[in-house]
Amino acid sequence: MSSDALKKRKPKVIRNEGGTPENKRSRGDGDQEFSVLGLCLLWFCIQMIKRESIKCHHGISHVCLRQSVEIEERRMQSCIHFMTLKKLNRLAHMRLKKGRDQTHEAKQRVDALHLQLQNLLYEVMHLQKEISKCLEFKSKHEEIELVTLDEFFQEAPPEISRLQFTKDDPHQQTLARLDWELEQRKRLAEKYKDSLASKEKILKSIEVKKEYLSSLQPGLNAIMQASLPVQEYLCMPFEHVQKQNEVARHLPPPLYVLLVQVNAYSQACDKSITVSISGDVDEAKALSKPPEDSQDDESDSDAEEELQNTRRRPTLGVQLDDKRREMLKPHPLSLCVDLKCKDGSVLHLFFYYLMNLNIMTVKAKVSTAADLAGAISAGELLNSETLLSCLYANDKGSETPNPANRYQFDKVGIATFGDYVSELGHPYIWVQNLGGLQFPSDRPEVTIYGKSLSASHMESSMKLLKGRLQSRLALHKQFSSLEHSIVPVSSECQHLFPAKVVSRLARWTTMTYLEYAELPYTQHVVQAGLAQDTDLYFLAQVERGTACLQAAMVLNPRYPEVTPLFALSLNWKGERTGRTDDNLRAMESEVNVFRMELQGPRPGYQLLTNQLQRLCLCLDVYLETESQDDSVEGPREFPREKMCLRTVRGPNRLKPFKYNHPQGFFSHR
Amino acid sequence: MGPVELLHMSVFSQSFSPCGRFLAAGNNYGEIAVFSLSSSLSPEATEINRKPILTFTAHEGPVFSLLSTDTHLLSAGNGEISAWSWTELAKRNTKAVWIRRPQYKLSLEIPEINAMVINARDNSLAVGGGDNNVHIMDLESGIFKSVLQGHTDYIHCLSIREREGELLSGGEDGAVRMWDVRTGQSVHCVEVYKYEQCARPQHGKWISCVTTDSDWMLCGGGPSLSLWHLRSLSPTSVFPLSGCQRQAMFYQDLILAVGEGHFASHCLLGGEVKSLIPCTPPSLNTLALNTNSTEHRVLTVGGSSDQIDVFTNLSYRAFSLSF
Repeated sequence: MSSDALKKRKPKVIRNEGGTPENKRSRGDGDQEFSVLGLCLLWFCIQMIKRESIKCHHGISHVCLRQSVEIEERRMQSCIHFMTLKKLNRLAHMRLKKGRDQTHEAKQRVDALHLQLQNLLYEVMHLQKEISKCLEFKSKHEEIELVTLDEFFQEAPPEISRLQFTKDDPHQQTLARLDWELEQRKRLAEKYKDSLASKEKILKSIEVKKEYLSSLQPGLNAIMQASLPVQEYLCMPFEHVQKQNEVARHLPPPLYVLLVQVNAYSQACDKSITVSISGDVDEAKALSKPPEDSQDDESDSDAEEELQNTRRRPTLGVQLDDKRREMLKPHPLSLCVDLKCKDGSVLHLFFYYLMNLNIMTVKAKVSTAADLAGAISAGELLNSETLLSCLYANDKGSETPNPANRYQFDKVGIATFGDYVSELGHPYIWVQNLGGLQFPSDRPEVTIYGKSLSASHMESSMKLLKGRLQSRLALHKQFSSLEHSIVPVSSECQHLFPAKVVSRLARWTTMTYLEYAELPYTQHVVQAGLAQDTDLYFLAQVERGTACLQAAMVLNPRYPEVTPLFALSLNWKGERTGRTDDNLRAMESEVNVFRMELQGPRPGYQLLTNQLQRLCLCLDVYLETESQDDSVEGPREFPREKMCLRTVRGPNRLKPFKYNHPQGFFSHR
Repeated sequence: MGPVELLHMSVFSQSFSPCGRFLAAGNNYGEIAVFSLSSSLSPEATEINRKPILTFTAHEGPVFSLLSTDTHLLSAGNGEISAWSWTELAKRNTKAVWIRRPQYKLSLEIPEINAMVINARDNSLAVGGGDNNVHIMDLESGIFKSVLQGHTDYIHCLSIREREGELLSGGEDGAVRMWDVRTGQSVHCVEVYKYEQCARPQHGKWISCVTTDSDWMLCGGGPSLSLWHLRSLSPTSVFPLSGCQRQAMFYQDLILAVGEGHFASHCLLGGEVKSLIPCTPPSLNTLALNTNSTEHRVLTVGGSSDQIDVFTNLSYRAFSLSF
């Protein structure tokens, strides 16, 4: 038994020794709250057991079996110790559990209290919110403007004001004031109803009176109709004038100014000018009624939208076209001014007013008395497109004179007004002036407005118009003979030329600006800015023998005020031009510069033909005085027939181009 | 003056004022324009500074010749010589100080004056022009004291050799004549067109420019521009310029010449054409170098245009003065 026990103990003791720290740790892991006292007891017990077991060992190894009694006792002792140890362990566990339960209970109590506190706080907050909501409440009556307090007490009857209640109680006071307000408004509504009724009555009476007046109209008309034969018989065109005045009321202001001024001018100065109104009067009447401002605004904003839309949807281009047409629409009424010349040809001028652009345009037409022979080169002369261009210098009439139009055009995508002039007529500046319209130009100038402006331009413009027509008709006649290679020289101008001029005009053709600008011998004219695209261009060819002189000519629309400008190129023994040959340059200046000698009787309609004749004369002089190369034998091609004092003169060896009339010799300038 | 007149204007003559600050130029309408070189050469010069400060009509015919003395501007018109005081011109006063007319034989046409030159040795003015003769005027008294006769056609140009007291004249008849001013006799007569190297029969025989520098002479016109040695009276070099030259001058070791064609030619004495500098006018009549003032030292060139080209550097056009 004892050996058994020993054997049993032995491994236990050994395990105890080696496992002590492990046991401790596992115990420490399991029970965190193991009391210090428990620990101490445990430690003490373990020490005791250790000692006992050591003693046992000792006993086994060194003390003989005699002492086995003592060992037994010791074993007993250690067993008791174990028991004690187990009890202590259990105790420690129970104590721990109890402590835990207590802590939990306390914690639960605290939680309950905390919850209660939070509930209360929330209730307080809610109540405060309700209070502030109540405080902020707005009553509808605050927006009503009430009569002042003093006024209220003065005016309101006592049954409404109830002074004794309302004096100190602001609530009652406000109620009373509101009552008074309601009362007053009721009374005013009543009054308004009465007024409406009386207005209705008055309107009805007006209607009745109107009906009576309009019933008079047919009777008056009948009387007018009956008086017409009498007027005609007495040659007093009251009716016609009256009718014109009637229509004239619907004219837009610029055309009206023009009508009045042309009438005045024709009565005072020039009976050959007549003016008439054409167009749809009813449409004009309809136009003058609706208020225009609001429409304009709408159309503007529409146009903007339109433009944005077109960017998104190209199908809207059609609508944009409509907008353009609307913008360029002329007033339905137009004026037709007829200028009659002495020879019976008539210049018809049609004046239009573009309402949305606020500019006037003009179209021209010529009807001639005699049927003009169709000269090919004269085709451009009476062309209605170019007939009136540059009536005043630089007034080309292709761009709109109103600076505001540019912005209007941008909106509907019109690049330039020039694309529409053939359809709408030309907006010359003089036309605007005749209509009393003045637009600020790039250079500052004195501005006059309205009728005085129109009047100040009327006379000069009418004279220029007549002059233009006559000069064009004169040119037309001259061109047809030029095309037959005849230079017509009138008897007044015979003294400018000798009897015999050998060089002949061989060809007379028209050409375009581009063709002109491409000629090598006209570059100096183009560079000097003397050739514009509004000018007319012609090419004359003068020939004598083997020599052929080409003369490119610029005809300014303001001819004969502006001298036609020639540039020369001679094809004879090689090509020479005014740029390379000083004598040809002198010939150019002979025809271009000395217009005073050449223009003939005023206003100088024979200038062009005289210039051409002088060109022929100068070519004669040039060829006859050309120095002969002595090395070439044989007769000269151009024998000297002209009488010259000297053939060359001055450092640049010019030939004598100046013809002296009665003596008939040629000299230098 | 309208744009058409400007288009047909030619500048025939130029002269710098004694102070070198002004340039006078004469045109075919008888007008003289005075330009201020100091304002047109300033760095901030605009178009306005390149317009004349003064333009006045001096003669009826073209002004073919202009010349400056120490105090006066002399201008030659049709048969008359006018003198204008430079100080008065600067004050914009355009009244002639004096006008003299050489005695001409009666003729339907008043002969023009093509060239004038001053002989500083005896303070006289030599005038050559349309009547084929050179008239010598004493500048002191204003009297025409002698007439040099010999040319058979009108005189284009004159030049003076002061050291030798010789006057050279070139004319339409193709001769360059050398005159002894003291005796009034023609010393030599060179008919340039007869020398094969120079002759150009397709152009003609006239001599339109003559210039001298000590023993050397430049002459040209119908015949090619050529450099002559005066002692031996033989051409040493002929310049291969295509057009007829109207004015030539020595400048350092260069020869500058202008004439038909829109360029000023630079030639070397040996006979090579060094460069052709393009100018604005299509053909050129006159060139002048301002030696009177170092700060306004420019070359000006005028011709058949209203523009006068100004060269601050010989090799390119700086800008143009315009009438």
